[in-house]
Amino acid sequence: MTGPLSATGVTRVFANGAGVFDVNLPLIPGQVVTLVGLNGAGKSTLMRLLLGMLRPDSGSVRLAGRLLPQAPAEAWAKVGHLVEYPLAYPELSTRRNLQLSARLRQVTHIDAAVEGIITEFALDQYADRRVRSLSLGNKQRVGLAAALQHDPSVIVLDEPTNSLDPAGVIRLRESLLRRADDGAAVLVSSHHLDEVARIADRIVVMNAGRLIGDLDAATPEIERAFFEMVRIDDERVGR
Amino acid sequence: MRAAIWAEGVKLAGSTVGRVGSVAIVIGVSVLSGSMLLAAHSDDPQLLAKLGPVATGDWTGFLLGAAQITGAGGLGGFAVVLAWIVGREFGDGTITGLFALPVRRSTIALAKLLVYGVWAVAMSVLLGIALFLVGTLAGLGPLTEAHWAALARQIALGVMSAAIATPIAWAATLSRSVLGGVSVALGLVVLAQVSVLAGLGGWMPLAAPALWAVSGGTAVTPIQLLLLLPFTGMAVVATALTWRRMQLDR
Repeated sequence: MTGPLSATGVTRVFANGAGVFDVNLPLIPGQVVTLVGLNGAGKSTLMRLLLGMLRPDSGSVRLAGRLLPQAPAEAWAKVGHLVEYPLAYPELSTRRNLQLSARLRQVTHIDAAVEGIITEFALDQYADRRVRSLSLGNKQRVGLAAALQHDPSVIVLDEPTNSLDPAGVIRLRESLLRRADDGAAVLVSSHHLDEVARIADRIVVMNAGRLIGDLDAATPEIERAFFEMVRIDDERVGR
Repeated sequence: MRAAIWAEGVKLAGSTVGRVGSVAIVIGVSVLSGSMLLAAHSDDPQLLAKLGPVATGDWTGFLLGAAQITGAGGLGGFAVVLAWIVGREFGDGTITGLFALPVRRSTIALAKLLVYGVWAVAMSVLLGIALFLVGTLAGLGPLTEAHWAALARQIALGVMSAAIATPIAWAATLSRSVLGGVSVALGLVVLAQVSVLAGLGGWMPLAAPALWAVSGGTAVTPIQLLLLLPFTGMAVVATALTWRRMQLDR
């Protein structure tokens, strides 16, 4: 089954031998997929491949059924992403950053989109402040707002809860669940298994560049189940 | 393209680097030129000897001094701002946000260069106006036709200095840093000086504009000056292609 964004047999190996290997991952409309794994498991690399920041050595990534290099602008306009750093320029205010992001994403009603997302992420009191002066958590909120303000149908977020306070985590969770309910395909990577279990329709475990299986969100002691899965995989390949 | 141009314009207008660069080019070159004018009225023969043909204390010497400063210092100012416009995306990490957009990265790169070009033309014109005001306030009297031509050459020199800095955009992209671009800028200034000493000045696009302006338009032929177009064009194309093919693999 192919979704609006999908990886098929994707391999990308770096000079040091690390990378991702033969990954198949379709994102499905209305489904929140979470990617969990230890540091260096390849989560960010996979997300970069899905967003065209890296090209696969083999396999393919498709957006709206087209290979990424051929994907039309209209398809990219429906993608919202945040990988590693928020698209937030320190010299500009929160509002100006969101306007900038909205324009680059071809949003038609920019003011409405910007004011709406400012309210959704409780950024009102920071709207006219330069991003330079914001805390790390609020910068992250600005980046998430920039990624989601155009109501994308494909959402890819790498460790989105990084630096967020509990209120921010709850707002993000509600925002993602609402968008998934509205039909968005969501991919989120995280270290926080308990948080992941609250929102995920599917929890995919990544280890050493490979997808090694799924975890059931209802599993009691999900962290123990995760480590067991990784341990068995490491033993199987002799690591 | 309009969205990318708007974005780049907003970023440059809101930046400290843009403001400092603007002041350095317009006010800095004007003040330095004015200082040379003051020095030209000194009674110190050693100082006058150092100033050479700039020491006439009139419009000719004043604008000659301004052209010399612009040829090196102006190029440096333009280069630093361009290195920042491009390299800051890597330093700030915002480059990841410039992927997966309906706007192509090559379009974003071209928008950066276009905004830089418009800013550079504005700075060159403002510098010309500032020099006119400084000279007038200093009591150099009305401009003759030859002086107006020298002032026009000064403005053209500013624009051409900005144009020959365009490889900095490519260097900042390849090095993925502002510093990488600035380092190459220093290299270009040295290369321009060496090429003049080696007698290649007119044929070296990096040196031709300054030589042309300082010589009153006599030391460089129009064909030599036109070499700036392919030189700048290649830098623009190389930058756009590199942004288009870019991978975040390091």
